[in-house]
Amino acid sequence: MNLLDRTRSVLDRARQLYRGTGHEPRLAEMGERLDEPLRVAIAGRVKAGKSTLLNALVADRLAPTDAGECTRIVTWYQDGHTYQVTAHPRGEQPRQLRFHRDAGAIEVDLNGLAPEKVTSLTVTWPSQALRTATLIDTPGIGSLSDQVAGRAFELLAPEDEETPADAVLYLLRHLHRNDLDFLRAFHDTEVSQPNPVNAIGILSRADEIGVGRLDSVASARRIATRMAADPNVRRVVQTVVPVAGLLAETAATLTESEVAQLRKVAELPVREAESLLLSADRFVQQMPELGLTSIEREALLARFGMYGVRLVISMMRHKVATTATELAAELTDRSGISDLREVLSSLFFERRDVLKSRSALLALDRLTRTEPRSGSEAVAAEVEEIIASAHPFRELQVLSAIRAGWVTGKPDVVAELERLIGGAGAATPLRLGLPADADDPTVAAAAGDALARWQRRAENPLTGHELAIAARVAIRSCEGMLAALQERR
Amino acid sequence: MTVAPQSTNQNPITQAAAVVDLGLSACEAYGRDDLAGRLAAAKRSLTDPSVHIVVVGEFKQGKSSLVNALVGAKVCPVDDDVATALPTYLRHGDEPAAELIFEGDPPRREPVELKDIERWIVEDDPTPRTTGVVSAPATVREEQPRPAGVEVRLPRRLLAGGLVLVDTPGVGGLGSAHSTASLAASSMADALLFVTDASQELTRSELDFLAQARQMCPTVVCVQTKTDFYPAWRKVRDLNQAHLTAAGTDIPIIPVSSTLRSRAVAANDTDLNNESGFPELISFIRDRVRGDATTRLASEAAAGVVAVAEQIISQFESEKAALADPAAAQQVVAQLTQVKERVEALKSAAARWSQTLSDGIADLTSDVEHDLKNRIREVIAEADRAMEDTDPADTWAEMQSWLESTVAGEMLANYTLLRDRATALSEQVGQHFQEASGEVLRQFPVFNPTPLAGSVDVDHNIDLEKMKVGKQAMVALKSAYGGAIMFVMIGLMTGITLGPIALGIGVIMGRKGLRDEKKKQVAARQQQAKNAVRRYCDQVSFVMGKDSRDTLRRIQRELRDHYTALAEELNRSNAEALRSATEATKSTQAERDKRIKDLDAELTRLRQLKQRAEAVTAG
Ligand SMILES: Nc1nc2c(ncn2[C@@H]2O[C@H](COP(=O)(O)OP(=O)(O)OP(=O)(O)O)[C@@H](O)[C@H]2O)c(=O)[nH]1
Ligand SMILES: Nc1nc2c(ncn2[C@@H]2O[C@H](COP(=O)(O)OP(=O)(O)OP(=O)(O)O)[C@@H](O)[C@H]2O)c(=O)[nH]1
Ligand SMILES: [Mg+2]
Ligand SMILES: [Mg+2]
Repeated sequence: MNLLDRTRSVLDRARQLYRGTGHEPRLAEMGERLDEPLRVAIAGRVKAGKSTLLNALVADRLAPTDAGECTRIVTWYQDGHTYQVTAHPRGEQPRQLRFHRDAGAIEVDLNGLAPEKVTSLTVTWPSQALRTATLIDTPGIGSLSDQVAGRAFELLAPEDEETPADAVLYLLRHLHRNDLDFLRAFHDTEVSQPNPVNAIGILSRADEIGVGRLDSVASARRIATRMAADPNVRRVVQTVVPVAGLLAETAATLTESEVAQLRKVAELPVREAESLLLSADRFVQQMPELGLTSIEREALLARFGMYGVRLVISMMRHKVATTATELAAELTDRSGISDLREVLSSLFFERRDVLKSRSALLALDRLTRTEPRSGSEAVAAEVEEIIASAHPFRELQVLSAIRAGWVTGKPDVVAELERLIGGAGAATPLRLGLPADADDPTVAAAAGDALARWQRRAENPLTGHELAIAARVAIRSCEGMLAALQERR
Repeated sequence: MTVAPQSTNQNPITQAAAVVDLGLSACEAYGRDDLAGRLAAAKRSLTDPSVHIVVVGEFKQGKSSLVNALVGAKVCPVDDDVATALPTYLRHGDEPAAELIFEGDPPRREPVELKDIERWIVEDDPTPRTTGVVSAPATVREEQPRPAGVEVRLPRRLLAGGLVLVDTPGVGGLGSAHSTASLAASSMADALLFVTDASQELTRSELDFLAQARQMCPTVVCVQTKTDFYPAWRKVRDLNQAHLTAAGTDIPIIPVSSTLRSRAVAANDTDLNNESGFPELISFIRDRVRGDATTRLASEAAAGVVAVAEQIISQFESEKAALADPAAAQQVVAQLTQVKERVEALKSAAARWSQTLSDGIADLTSDVEHDLKNRIREVIAEADRAMEDTDPADTWAEMQSWLESTVAGEMLANYTLLRDRATALSEQVGQHFQEASGEVLRQFPVFNPTPLAGSVDVDHNIDLEKMKVGKQAMVALKSAYGGAIMFVMIGLMTGITLGPIALGIGVIMGRKGLRDEKKKQVAARQQQAKNAVRRYCDQVSFVMGKDSRDTLRRIQRELRDHYTALAEELNRSNAEALRSATEATKSTQAERDKRIKDLDAELTRLRQLKQRAEAVTAG
């Protein structure tokens, strides 16, 4: 029986046990949740660029963004057949809301509802991107309004319930103490709750790192790599990816007229263009002869940012990219969003089943502990049994043990171990450190080698206790890969 | 002695220096070297009027760039990632030069090449400072001491006149130990430039810091940087202004772009310089910050001259009274003899002010100690409670930073208690001194001791009247407490570790007996963590306790010295008056007439001096 089936069966058992109690709906929801797309929350401090990143991932401008504090209600964006927005007012029935969408984001008419009275909004929107993951936009941490500040915590680390998110993207502008506190709050590191399995760190607004220099992206990459190697960060997120959400969002929604407007600037003599681009104020106010209104110029800045404008103009001038299509591709590439998509798919989407059953099992564990009744002990034992024995969970446990610094050994050995159990992604070639398109015989050979190597390590009396245990898990991982290859043949 | 015509429209420092010089020559002319000593001290502080402007803010907001742009030179290292780790003091010098400053009493200095300072200022290991400040482990530190700061001298007009710009390490987050240390340090500053970039509104932690800083420092301004890069900077500024107003502070916001300013300086481009917003910032620094500080310093020095003049005037006046009316001379002598007794009583240890001082310091020492003990006990109790239901293996890092910042906060509160109570005590002692001296003081006004301060100081907003007594305590407070000790405390925590975490990943072996085993391990770790917390708190109590005892002892000594010297001066003035009055009774009419004429001339000069000094005092 695979993990999802085992999870379903224990859920069924629990449903029978709690039949007729007030917990039935909660259990029913756990079951439904297993089959839904993965729920990914986007969290971080105020103005980290959460809503912008959400739009970039959906490749559409759905979530409102602004320079001032903006997102005040937790908002779910899910795929569906129709366009609709539902409010979930605290302690009341959900109700449908009117919304409109003129130039950009969806503007919801709360129809007299006070924002602090609304637990969450659900935006249903037919979208390919939302089919793989439901995205949850959250208000910023560290908000000046106390009402808003607590919202993200309520969602991701609720006091009395399981979190409705299966995974989190955590946006950091630069490493900040508050950020780490938040991550820790979300990760209750009970050994039975492996982590950091479901969090990815994002160094957001990456284009702003150099505050205007054109090599910002390289700088951002260096900082992200350094952060990802920090033990404190590794304990809570799998990795850190630099992303310039604004560039990605704009690239995904770039218009021909925007390109035409920027071309006017690119065609200026170099010195004049440089002087114009020296500051945001200059760009808006100087050279009236350019044939761009200040409103158009402000709009360009809002869409591209200073860095984006400078980058596009430099690319046009050097003929790196000139058409809207080419520019969109370049911007997407430099924004880092494609790297993020890859990381998302190898760390989250390919592990969807594990993350889903993890969410369900944790919820069940909580229910049986907080609402015990005769027979719930057995359900709890079964949950624990699955958590302790299912191989994917063991992998995750070893992974978090490595991340927490509990498994020690030679650095390259530990690094190989981490990769082998899926630390860099669940796909077989990734685990073996092979290119994604490696052919089966190569993969099989590598898996066989790894198996032999880790068997030796597991049996070597000089191997430390923790590493030996971890080695046994790695052996199972290798056997699993070999078995899967066998089946394919 | 002559008094030159008063020139208005002059730098208050020059004016004050001029009247102090006049006061000094008066002291010399009248043989009052005791009074001259005080004026000499005032003169010293006038020749080196340090005005500290401390630049603070969260990580990467553009503090170092701002300092560089202000002086138009790349002095402080700027980087996307590596952060400023040491405070850098920029002051005026005829030649560019740099020195490393090491902790000590007095601080040890070591010259260093200007181009090499970067290596010292930036953190050697750019790992994020997640638990306050990362400092080298104690052993490493002993082998190779890290400087406590770097001082750079530059020939810049802006810095002339005693301005010291201090670039500081970025503060990480709400209520961190580090930000408490910065707060304590800022209480020593004349002005605080709080740096926040235009990328977003002020956050909760920034606003909290600003509100607290406003209590600690007389002049705080919020500098919004990077306006060249963020198109929405005006909107952000307006939002911030609204937040600041809502928080009930009057802190102004000055938007600037360091990048534009640096370019403007390099290209000598006035328009660009205007666009950078720096002219406004610089005139704020010149007029408001330096202006305020120098006016204050000048008026303190001038007030000293006023007091000196008054003492000599009253001495001459009693002599004149005795000379003018030989019949009354006996009475004057009798009066002065009475005063003499009083002044002598004032000097004795049995004097009430002296009793008040000894008792007060004793009480204060035990109260401060008690307060600290209670605070630390509370912290330990809270830490224990927090540890009850967590596993230190997971939470120790957080616990450490929580502990550091909580303890730093409590220390700041304890320090504030000491400061307030010491100020009150100082005032009380002054009161008693004044009461006991009664008549004497009406004749010889209490000399204002402020010029002793020597350099910048806390609490400038107390009016001159209060400063008579209040400031005394602050001098000692400043030299001991605050920033320095706080930073030392932060270092302490890094020495304390939990020891190896003996956690098997036994869970993978299956579930039998697992829960029990886990519980046992958690309990052991909790005990370990509790012990570590106690160890840290013990260390803190020890260092802090010793420091506050020392500080109070120093305050006691300074107050005693001050009032004893004052009594001595009064005694001397009185003795002079007594001597001349006695002589007057014996001299001939002709001698008396001549002396009266001389005295009148001297009195006119002294009154002019006093008037002129008063004009400086009035600003
Ligand atoms: N240059 C640049 N600007 C960005 C980027 N991402 C967001 N921004 C800008 O930053 C501001 C805030 O972006 P949002 O997406 O609204 O941020 P948020 O985290 O959702 O904000 P709250 O919901 O208020 O907490 C907007 O003005 C965006 O244009 C980015 O990658 N680069
Ligand atoms: N465009 C622009 N960039 C700026 C400005 N001020 C600072 N920067 C950039 O912001 C980044 C950080 O600047 P620093 O001056 O090192 O900031 P800091 O506050 O001293 O940083 P820490 O010492 O690490 O806390 C650097 O990349 C600077 O180039 C400005 O006015 N305009
Ligand atoms: Mg938002
Ligand atoms: Mg700096």
